[in-house]
Amino acid sequence: MELVTKYHGVREYNDEDVIVFKKGLPGFEELKNYIIFPLENNEVFSILHSIEAKEVGLILVSPFSTLADYEFKIPDNDIKELQIAKPEEVLVLTTVTLSSNIENMTTNLKAPIIINIKQKLGEQLILDTEKYKIKQPLFNKSNN
Amino acid sequence: MLVIGRKKGESLLIGDDVEITIVKIENGSVKIAINAPREISILRSELYKEVTEENQRAMVFDASAIEKLKK
Repeated sequence: MELVTKYHGVREYNDEDVIVFKKGLPGFEELKNYIIFPLENNEVFSILHSIEAKEVGLILVSPFSTLADYEFKIPDNDIKELQIAKPEEVLVLTTVTLSSNIENMTTNLKAPIIINIKQKLGEQLILDTEKYKIKQPLFNKSNN
Repeated sequence: MLVIGRKKGESLLIGDDVEITIVKIENGSVKIAINAPREISILRSELYKEVTEENQRAMVFDASAIEKLKK
């Protein structure tokens, strides 16, 4: 099948590639079905794209590239909802807010997107903790 | 919308298994205790709103910004 996106060209996908977010995502509660693909020209990033809205594609990155010891507990109820049997089935990604100034680029460590890659089920968690920020700089200045 | 007045120490029930108790009232802020099943998620509204806004910002695709990252 073909998905014609507004910003990321035409994407080929199969039924089995579709990841279902039963609750949608905050801000896109009505959009339940997504595909994920690497960003062209920069595969550090992925795009989580709605197959129901051609303009809705969120830029994602692995949070562990920003914070190696990033951690959180997936609530039991979500483990059940996402039918997670093994930790290896879980893909964790966080949204990226781009900026023309690299130093202002951030990732949202407070709301990780978790995907059961085996069952193709996803959800965005919201961590009620002060430990992680909604706007965590993507690049740690002290490392540069 | 239903509006109910409650005093400190009083509570109310929502459905069969959610109980909300007013624990403390002080200087324009209230402390609330919530008894609910684990599968009910409880979030401060502004946190959900902030995540909503950040998700919308994560949609803004700026090809020139990506170009910079490649360097």
